[in-house]
Parts: sequence; C-alpha cells; structure tokens
Amino acid sequence: MPTITYRDALNQALKEEMERDANVFLMGEEVGVYQGAYKVSRGLLDAFGEDRVVDTPITELGFAGVGIGAAMVGLRPVIEFMTWNFALLAIDQIVNSAAKMLYMSGGQIPIPIVFRGPGGAALQLAAQHSQAFDSWYAHVPGLKVVAPATPYDAKGLLKSAIRDENPVVFLEGEMMYNAKGEVPEGEYTVPLGEADVKLEGSDVTLVCHAKTVTVAQRAAQQLAEECGIAAEIVDLRTIRPLDTDAIIRSVAKTNRCVVVEEGWPFCGIGAQIVDYIQLYAFDHLDAPVLRVTQADVPIPYNKRLEKAAKPSPERVVEAVKQITYLD
Amino acid sequence: MKRFPAYDPPEYVDWQPDAELSAEFVDTWYRDPERRSIVEQLNREPKLDLYRGLLRTRLHDITLKRWVRHGIISKAWLGTGEEAATVGPVHALNRRLDIVAPMIRNAGACCEMGMPVADMLRGYLGTYDSPSRGRDGHVGDLDRRVLQPISNIGIMPPVTVGIALGFRLRGEDGIALTWVGDGSMKHGGTHEALGLAVAQHLSVIFIIQNNQIALGTPVTVHHPPGTFESVHQAYGVAGWSFDGNNVLDAYAATKLAVRHCLSEAGPVVLAGETFRMGGHATHDEQEARELIPPELFTHWGARDPIGLYEEYLKGDGVGPHVLERIESEIVQEVEDAEREALSSREASRPAPESALEGVYASYSPSDEGSERVP
Ligand SMILES: Cc1ncc(C[n+]2csc(CCOP(=O)(O)OP(=O)(O)O)c2C)c(N)n1
Ligand SMILES: [Mg+2]
Repeated sequence: MPTITYRDALNQALKEEMERDANVFLMGEEVGVYQGAYKVSRGLLDAFGEDRVVDTPITELGFAGVGIGAAMVGLRPVIEFMTWNFALLAIDQIVNSAAKMLYMSGGQIPIPIVFRGPGGAALQLAAQHSQAFDSWYAHVPGLKVVAPATPYDAKGLLKSAIRDENPVVFLEGEMMYNAKGEVPEGEYTVPLGEADVKLEGSDVTLVCHAKTVTVAQRAAQQLAEECGIAAEIVDLRTIRPLDTDAIIRSVAKTNRCVVVEEGWPFCGIGAQIVDYIQLYAFDHLDAPVLRVTQADVPIPYNKRLEKAAKPSPERVVEAVKQITYLD
Repeated sequence: MKRFPAYDPPEYVDWQPDAELSAEFVDTWYRDPERRSIVEQLNREPKLDLYRGLLRTRLHDITLKRWVRHGIISKAWLGTGEEAATVGPVHALNRRLDIVAPMIRNAGACCEMGMPVADMLRGYLGTYDSPSRGRDGHVGDLDRRVLQPISNIGIMPPVTVGIALGFRLRGEDGIALTWVGDGSMKHGGTHEALGLAVAQHLSVIFIIQNNQIALGTPVTVHHPPGTFESVHQAYGVAGWSFDGNNVLDAYAATKLAVRHCLSEAGPVVLAGETFRMGGHATHDEQEARELIPPELFTHWGARDPIGLYEEYLKGDGVGPHVLERIESEIVQEVEDAEREALSSREASRPAPESALEGVYASYSPSDEGSERVP
C-alpha cells in the first residue's frame, strides 16, 4: 500500500470527488494560484480550472456565505479556510445559514457543503492562531464535525463529507499535513459517525481525536513499557454525530477512561463524553473519568510556555496512573 | 547604506542612483503646494530623523532575517521595501498624544513610537522580559502608544476607531492611526471600521498600504482597479494618495491628514503605493519571486525608499560623512539591541507555570515568572 502524507490524502480526496461529480468545487483564499497556504490544493487549478478552484479575496464571512448560496442551488462546495482562526466571522454564516436552513425551511433547503482547514495549535503561532474550535461547532445542531488523525481517515472522511447532504465542519491541522500513513489505491470512503479503535487494550480507554491521537499513542507506549498497562485508544474521527457505542464498548471492557483533547477544558468535547459515560457506563467504572486538555489559557508564543499549555503524553500518563491508583 | 548581499533583495544589493527617479522623488511632493510647504518647513534634524527611522526599520528586518537563517527563530514577517510608508506617517504624528495600530509590515512604527529595538527582538524570542512576557511574538507597548497587533485581518480597524472614540469622550486631542493592507481592504471588518469612523466623525487616519500583493494574490486579482485612491469617496470622507516609497511624501500626506483631524473634520483615508520586496514571510521568499512578475521587482527595486532618500539628502546638502555617521550610530543601536535581546534568552526565560497566569484582570506580572539563570 502506498504511504502518503495527510496533505496528499486530502488532495486525492478533493481531486477524486471533483472528477466524480461536476458539482463539487473548491473555494477559499489562495487555493488556486498559490495552491493553498498549506499546499493541500496542489495541482487542482491546473486540473479543473478557475471555475472550480476559486480564489477569493480575504472575506471569510463572505465566501462562506457564497458557498452556502451555491449549495442551495445544487452545487457541493468545499470551502477552505486558511486556518479556522480566520473563520470566526464566518461562524455567523456556518451557524445561521448552513446549520439551520434545512430545519427552518421545513426540509426544503438542504445545504451540502464542507468547510475545511487546519485548526488548533501548530508551533509558536500564539494565541490568535492556535485555537481549537472543535467544541464550538460540535455544539450546533445541524452541523457535522469531523477531525481525522491519519492520512487514511483524512481521505476517506473527506470523501464522505463531500457526499453528505449536510454541512460538515472538517478540522485538519497544520502539524498533521506532513504526517505519513498508508492509503490504499482506488476508491474507499470512511463513514461519518464511526470511531476507530487505533490500539486494543484492556486496562484503560484513551478517547481522543485528531492531533491528540498521537499524544495518546505516545502515552500508551510509555504506559506499556513503564507500567505494564495496556491502553485502548478510541479515535473518535467524527465528533458529531458521536460514536457513543464505541466509547461505551471500550469503557465496559477497560472500566477506566481518560479523555484527551486539544481544546480548552471548559465545556469541551471531553465534558460531553464524560456525560455519556456516566449515563451509559456508570456501573462499569472503577474510577472517575479524567480529562487531559490544553491549559485554560490562550496558547502562548514562547516554546516552553506553549509546551506547558498543550496536552502532552506525560499528562496522559499521569492521569492514567492516577485512575489506576499507581501513584 | 551598506547593502547586505546575503539578506537584501538582489535589486538592493546592486542599487544605483538614477537621476530621473531622484528628480521624481522631489517632484512628487513639490508639485503639491501644501505638501511642498510641509517639506520645506522641515528642518535638517527631523529630516535626518526620518533617515534614522528608515535605517532602523531595515536593520531590524535584516537582523530577523539573519536569525531565521541561523535557526534562532523559525520565521519572520518583514517590511522590506515598505519602510517609508511606515516611518513617514509615524513621524507626522504627535507621538505623545496619538496612538498607532501597526500590522505585520509596520514593525518599524513600534520603534519610531519609541519602543526599543531590543524589545521588538525580544518579542520574537519570546523572552519573559519582552513586552508580551513571551505570550506573543508581535509586541506593542501601550505606554508608548503602540497597540499590540491583532493578527486576524479586519479585527484591528474597528478597535482603532474605538481608540479615537475614547480620545473624544475623554476630551483628548489624540489621533488613532492604523495601516490596512490591500488584501485587508476586502475584509468586512475594515469596511465596518470606515463606516463607524465616518458616522462618528472621529479622528482616525487609515493608511491603505498597497504593496501590490496579499500573501500570494496580486492586487488586481482581488481589486481590479489596482489602486485605492478613490476609496475615501465611497465613504464621503477626505482622502488622498501618496508615494509609499517616498518618505517625504508619506510624511507630508500624513501631516495634512493630522491637520484635517485636528480641525475636527473627521477621518482621513490615505492610499500609499508601495511594494513587498520579499515573501509574505521569510518562508515563501522564493515562491514570491516565482509568483510575482520580475518587472515588478525591477520597477520597485529601483525605488528603494532608503536609496532614494539618501540621494535626496545628499542633494539637500547633507554631507556623505553625516550620512555615514548616522548609519554607524543606527548600526550600533541595532547591534546592541540584538546583543541585549539574545542575552535575554538565557537571562529571562519564562517559567512554564507562568503560562497559567494573567488570563483575567487581577494579573500583575512579577519577576517570579522568569527563571533567572545565574
Ligand atoms: C481574517 C484573516 N484571514 C486570513 C489571514 C491570513 N493572512 C495573513 S496576512 C494575509 C495577507 C494580507 O494581505 P494584505 O492585507 O495586502 O497585507 P500584506 O501582507 O500585503 O502586508 C492573509 C491572507 C488573517 N490573518 N486573517
Ligand atoms: Mg498587501
């Protein structure tokens, strides 16, 4: 199986879907001539022309809305945000037009659209450029929220997102674009709403998504080597709809759980997951469910400060030790 | 000035004076009686101060470029070629009363408002003794009347208008000045700011800094007219253009805007034409060379704001030894700043726990946030 980057996996998904369906088009800042701020759209302008790879002025609120209008009349836009940090104004369109229109129109107006781009922290981009908005979008009924961790999932999920009849918020990561992984040749999709067990284990469940999958993997390795603890890693892949069955199945097996996420703790994704676990797996728990998140501060610029503020494998290991009473 | 083959754009390394461009440099403001009188009222010392500002700004950027090359920092956003559009306007302000809100291309504004170069460099290094305590790489200093940049485009212009509103409500004479890139002129936030400043009749100077490109998008792609000289008309306010590579024209045009504001006549929209002589940041310089037609680099490279101004000063009777002395003073200032900032890397490392402080207003930074290595 070929090994390719997360970036190329997304690029393949876009290319294949644009070839498959003439209604699919890509729009955003610098997606055409510049081939994307992170080069995800490399080669697409040459392959599909200016009508289907549309460069926009710096107008996030505007082109999010333009995409929604185009979706209303039968197109399937993929809107790229240079990063999700720049989409805060566009959230008005995403929440008020994209998420609600189907419901408010009594089912008349579906909005099949994908909003995608990198979110969360990279390296030293500081507070205004390092924000994980996963929970903000997941809060909104009418939106689906997807956050792949591997090239395989990125490609398969983006294809499903483009084919979905609903608005999908698709969260990538600057630091993940160069990550490599096996991606089969030929057609496949990964369904929205299905978590994936990235590592089987019997002692503790680590629930994670996107960048924190790597954090959980490093922690799992350390736990196995240093403490003989076998962690099971449940990668959510889709945050909404959430695969609660997969989480509950795993917790029923391990009886312990740590939820790892990139965002802030307050009202985070983990808070929702803990709620489901106490509701559906209360009797299976041998210890409280702990959460590892970024510190409850804007992400600082200095390397050491940034590192201190981000969720880390060490903090996951610490949390696991706490609930396995190894401390 | 001494050129830096390893860091300067090639057009600057080979820069030669051109009599026609030198004549044009003068003619640009001379043919406008108001601007001409402003320039003619400038004494020798403020003229040399403008020169100091241009040099300081260029050398600050060259230091950052060298740091990127040596791996001290990973990336820097520079204003190479656009110095005059930053330095001229700042010198036209009352720096004790007015407040500036610079964007990434306007780092020079911080120093010209009085922030030490060392503080700017410490910002990039993220040391605890930087103005942001290591929390941000682009710094401001409100005591020196510099707003810390808000990097999300379109967000800072309304804030700048708010500063002007504050001046009025407090009965102060200050003017708020911000720069808006050609790309940023397309953002809704920018237009809301213009509308608000007009509706409230506030003392705001917006400088549209048209450096012909927004990241990788040429100005004519996102704004077909290619210039912004009539934007002010759409808002029914005063506005005029200036040559963004001509520090005297930039100074004079802004001075007129200051007078306009001080007569309580409302905001002014200035449009300065200039050119980004490099990449969006240090990481895509090569790409910019591939993307932007070489003629543009040749055209604007010949109009190096520093070279042009040096020629003007010489023609104005400033001896070469004076320019050399000033240059060596500024070189010294920036070298000292670099040394100071680099020493902060060890002497003032933020303690990891300090990341958790200061989210709410009870914060007062103390030396305890720094780990001092003896
Ligand atoms: C809302 C928003 N969208 C996108 C960006 C990313 N971005 C940073 S600078 C820039 C280009 C700005 O161009 P211009 O306004 O012409 O200023 P210049 O960089 O040329 O000085 C872009 C797209 C951003 N910072 N904020
Ligand atoms: Mg520009």
